[in-house]
Amino acid sequence: MAEFDEAARKLTVKLVYYGPAMSGKTTNLMRLHDLLAPDLKGEMMTLDTQNDRTLFFDLLPLGFKTPTGWLVKFKLFTVPGQATHDGTRKAVLSRADGVVFVADSQRSQGVNNAESFQNLEDNAKRVGLDFDTLPVVVQFNKRDLPQILSEQEVRERWSGAPWPLVFASALTGEGVRETFKELLQQVYPVLDRYFSIGELHGMDQAAFIGAAMGD
Amino acid sequence: MDFYPRPFDREFGLRELLSGVSLKRLGDSLTLLLGGGFRLVSDTGEVLLDGCEGTGGMPRAVIRHDLEPLGYLESPHAGADQLRAAASLLEFMMQVSARYYMASELHIAAVQENYEELQQQHAALVESDARYRALSESLEQRVQEQVKVIESAHRQLYQAEKMASVGQLAAGVAHEINNPIGFIRSNLGTAQSYVARLQQMATRLKAGGGAAVAGLWQAADMDFVLEDFGQLLGESKSGADRVARIVADLKGFSSVDRGEEEVVNLNDSIRAACNVAAGQLNGRADVILELGEIPALRCRPGPINQVFLNLLLNAAHAMERPGAIRIHTGLLGDTLRVRITDTGSGIPEAVLPRIFDPFFTTRDVGRGTGLGLTVSRDTVTAHGGTIEVESRVGEGTTVTVSLPVRR
Repeated sequence: MAEFDEAARKLTVKLVYYGPAMSGKTTNLMRLHDLLAPDLKGEMMTLDTQNDRTLFFDLLPLGFKTPTGWLVKFKLFTVPGQATHDGTRKAVLSRADGVVFVADSQRSQGVNNAESFQNLEDNAKRVGLDFDTLPVVVQFNKRDLPQILSEQEVRERWSGAPWPLVFASALTGEGVRETFKELLQQVYPVLDRYFSIGELHGMDQAAFIGAAMGD
Repeated sequence: MDFYPRPFDREFGLRELLSGVSLKRLGDSLTLLLGGGFRLVSDTGEVLLDGCEGTGGMPRAVIRHDLEPLGYLESPHAGADQLRAAASLLEFMMQVSARYYMASELHIAAVQENYEELQQQHAALVESDARYRALSESLEQRVQEQVKVIESAHRQLYQAEKMASVGQLAAGVAHEINNPIGFIRSNLGTAQSYVARLQQMATRLKAGGGAAVAGLWQAADMDFVLEDFGQLLGESKSGADRVARIVADLKGFSSVDRGEEEVVNLNDSIRAACNVAAGQLNGRADVILELGEIPALRCRPGPINQVFLNLLLNAAHAMERPGAIRIHTGLLGDTLRVRITDTGSGIPEAVLPRIFDPFFTTRDVGRGTGLGLTVSRDTVTAHGGTIEVESRVGEGTTVTVSLPVRR
């Protein structure tokens, strides 16, 4: 659950980009850094190895002030996708307020996607998150590549799942904002329920999302 | 590991983010860059570096980290651009520092996570190992018990098959022999009455036959012939009786039709065994029966008879020179005791512990199966009894069979 600091008049929201190795989680954050224009935008912190694999996490801080003078801070994290870093993934995922699952659209990646999603569900339970109510958006990335599942195939496969699907090409930036917006639309009602953002801070969902994205 | 790592994504303060650098050297450098003394204060008002006079109202630059102001750089004489540049420098340093802290604390969390997982796996492994160990131990025991049961059943089956074939043979022989024995005995009886009539006839013939008849009578020694004739017939008849009895004993002994429990007197069983073994005992040993008053025993007569026959034959085979076999029966409390003592060669001490082992035999191949005592013990045990052997080399052996009257 989001951190609510009464003394500092600050609400910190943690959002995690999860998914199999090399599916484009870091690229998503880099594009968001370029594309979003909220009041406050921090430098992106990356901890990758020489071969572009995320070793620990990436962090992009975003934020804005509410009309009441409160700071709403978003901390966007990525997890390392490789199977061996499960302990790190768990630590990053803990206390998350929302998750973007970045899947690889390539036909060859079906098993990796499934295993990673299962890993997300398992780890969410292990760190004490209620996966049934946790805001989750599934992004099918790499739409620009050949040999990918068609949108129809993806929709058919995920038709039984409750999570919204977004198609993206993080490399070109396509769908990246939409994914983030989709997540915020799910996160806002949860935050509003606990912290009465609409009532106390005069921000409805549209205003909240607009401020977060800098629209 | 007992310590709990702090969350890697917590908020950092100004002092913490600068804890990796020497504040003194930082202060010296900044003093040069800013062209004079300055002051570094945190957002909570804590003064980290104080190198200038004066209080509030000085130009200041905000130092941000992670979107938020963490402190201020104040200088009375530096320009706004200078202050901004110096603050940016500090922000860079803090960003690098935060990157290091977050990575290291995340690493600690991950390592601890893995360690705890390993410990849980280890505990689970230890537990399952103990479970399998216990299972394997009891498994071995259970297999051994089962093997014993199977071996015992196998021996009983083997013996039962043997007895059944002997019994069938005996029954067949008895049936075939009983008929001829029947008319032989009947004819011998008739012949005896004929001899009696011949003797009456002879008495009259001798009285009124004159000298010639008397002379011929004398010459043919007819008095002896007639007398011996009667005796011969009598001996033949008792011989035929004995054949009939042996056949009956053999048939009864093998108990081909007596698998169920019956109430029998062990003294009768012993007598039957003696009759069956008579052929092997003749010339080797005299059997001395000391059969006491004992109550009837509920048992399976076939196997029990076999026990006594086995013991009797063992005793007979132990005779290197003619000796005696003494069979004593008696009641001791609720236990029937049968003691068979021979004056044979005895059993060497080294062999004694193995005599009940299956297929252990000291006889030549083909002469003994090595199952006699094994099956005997199985039988006695099945009847709730015990069998004990005492032996001295050169003096003889005593086998004591104890059977409870009530089970």
